[in-house]
Parts: sequence; structure tokens; C-alpha cells
Amino acid sequence: MAHNVWKIGGFALITYVLVMVFVVPMGPGLLELRSTEGTFISEEMERPIPEYFLTGFATHWNEAPDQLSVIVRSQSNLVQLQVIEVLDDTHARIGVSLPYSLPSKSWDVLINHPVDGTLLLENGLFLSDRFIDESLALPALAIEEFAADLPFHFPYQPRILETIRNLMLHVPMWFTMFVLMGIAFVASIKQLATSRSMVEDEKAEASVKAGLLFGILGLITCSVWARFTWGAWWVDDPQLNGALVTVLVYSGYIVLRNSIDNAPLRARLSAVYNLFAFIILIILLMVLPRFTESLHPGKGGNPGFNSYDLDSALRAAFYPAVIGWILIGIWMYRVNLRFTRLNKLLK
Amino acid sequence: MNTINAILVQSHPLEGWFFGSGKALVVLAVALILLIGFGLWMWRAEARLKKMEAKLNQKTSRES
Repeated sequence: MAHNVWKIGGFALITYVLVMVFVVPMGPGLLELRSTEGTFISEEMERPIPEYFLTGFATHWNEAPDQLSVIVRSQSNLVQLQVIEVLDDTHARIGVSLPYSLPSKSWDVLINHPVDGTLLLENGLFLSDRFIDESLALPALAIEEFAADLPFHFPYQPRILETIRNLMLHVPMWFTMFVLMGIAFVASIKQLATSRSMVEDEKAEASVKAGLLFGILGLITCSVWARFTWGAWWVDDPQLNGALVTVLVYSGYIVLRNSIDNAPLRARLSAVYNLFAFIILIILLMVLPRFTESLHPGKGGNPGFNSYDLDSALRAAFYPAVIGWILIGIWMYRVNLRFTRLNKLLK
Repeated sequence: MNTINAILVQSHPLEGWFFGSGKALVVLAVALILLIGFGLWMWRAEARLKKMEAKLNQKTSRES
């Protein structure tokens, strides 16, 4: 039983990760501040105020509607906006009463709320119909930042929103593929060093087959995620194309093996091919996307998720996911290896 | 008011419904059943392979 603990551990970790993925709520954020094209006349101000519609994401404005405060900011200039009405937890009507002369057209939107804390929507308000004088300074306004009073949650990311949960299913696929292809790489080196035995060749074959499955799962989860965040099932991006080419290169390994009948020749040729395949994997997935422009997080100058996740909420699910999937991957490789060996013996 | 309604409807209703209505828990249950089923299948496959390996070893040792 003791030697099976890691297998049970792998599945236990993935069970924990799946529960986290579907149960942990999202943190709050701001989606947009959009003009309704209408106006609002308050009791205090006689002239009509342009009305805007503020949309939050996973916010809790209804829990303390009177304490919702909306501020716009441009450099050191801060202006408090009027909250006309909180419609529900995520929607509010806002009156934007800014003077005609302003220091900037573009303003950040800040929200202060006792439950959600201080939220920021960068360049959330753009006023194209104002006179701009950059030297202008508006009257000073003192605001205090609120800390969120929320249970454990995943961080809010603009555009990614709920799909941030896919991080625990997409990225570990590639980590597992890397580990399995690494095992195959070492086995191929050993095969070339001891060309008489077929043991290492069997290891390489079983490992590549298991790794390829994780690569295909990585491509599927990538495509679904790209559809939501970038609006297309596939985009011409060096990281995505590199991943596809890598999977195709390893598919070529399987094709090569099946096309040669002579076992020693097949073992030697596929070992050499596998060495090049692993180097291509490193170049296409690790090196090239870092030197070119890429939409992919963590590549081409784009920050990875770790730079946004200040409270490390994602790490509590992401690291167990990586370990769990790698353990499952290694188990699949071992079962595949035993099956391949048995199949050969029976033949 | 029509503009407000239009904006309300377009602000990610699917995700809100998915997690707000409890459907996410149904998906979680299905995913867990699939995962546990896959784990059990792997366990049984390994046990069968072990048995077959043992039989084959016995056979080869008898022949030799």
C-alpha cells in the first residue's frame, strides 16, 4: 500500500483542485463606466448632470449601498462623483458632474466600499467634449483606501474574469508534458548509450505517448481560453503556434516509430529524433515566445498571473494542481510502459 | 431606462448564472465522478497487468 500513496495523493490533489476551481468565489472588480446618454437633475444642483452606468464584477454594493463612493482620478487630481442609485450588487447609476475645463480627457475610476475595498478601473472614464488644460489643478480631495472584507477568493483580472479558474487546468498540462518528455529525453540518451537493450526505448515510447496526451489537453484548454479572452479559437501567436508545432513534432515521433519494422534501427532512429524533439520543445515553448511579441501571459513582456495575485490565492490551488497532474501523468506513463512491455512479450 | 437594461443584460450573464444558480456544483460533481472513475480504471488496469506479468513469469520460468 505504501508504494501506492503517491498515486492516491495525485488524485486527492486533483480532487482538491477541482473543488477549489468550482467553489472559490471571484474577487470584486470594475467592468465599465458607460454613459447612458441621459441626464439626472439633483435637488442640490439645478442644472442636469450627465448620467453614467457603473458595472462591477462580483461586487457587493447592495450590502452597504449608502457607503459606495465613486472617485475619478487623473494624476494627482481627484473628483468625487455622485452615486444616484445602487440598482443591485454590481450595477449603479452615477452622476458625472465635472467642470468644462479639465487637466485630462482620460480618468481612472476608483470605488471605495466597506465590503469590496478600493477598486480601480484604469482609464475608465474618457471625456472627449471638454476643454483640456494640463496645467489645471482641481481642488484637493482626501480619500482613504479601504481593505476588502471578503472570504478567500481568486483575484479579479480584467478580460479573463471567471476563466482565471482555467489556470489550474491549462498550465499544469504543459508542466506534466515537460516532465514526461524530459523522462523520454533521458531514456533516449540512455538508449543511444546502450543500444543493445530495448528497455530505454520502451520507456521513451511510453513517456512520449503519455506526454502527447497532456499536450493535446493543453491545446484544447488553450483554445477554449483564447476564445473567451481574445475572441478567437486560435490566434497567430508564437506561444500558441509553438505549442501546436511541438505537439506535431512529437506526433511525428509516433509516426516514425510505426514506419520502421527493424527494432534496433527503430530504437536508434527514434532516440535521435526524440533528442531533437525535446530541444525544439524547449526552444518553441520556453525561449522563442520570450523574445517576440506575444499575447500569452508571462511571455513577450506580458506579466504572468503571479504579478497580479498579491494575496497568493491562486497559488493555493495552482501548485497542488501542478503536483497532482504530474503524479497522474507519471502513473499513466508507468501503466503504459508495463502494457507495452507485456504486449511485446505476448507477441 | 432601456439603455440601462441593455447594459445589465450584456454584463456577463452566463458566468453569473453558472456560479449563482449552483450549476457549477453539478459540473464539479460530474468532473469528480469522471476523475474518480478514471483513477479506479487505472488502478484496475494496473492490477490486471500485474496478474498477467506474474502468469507470464511463471510460464517462462517453467519452460526454462
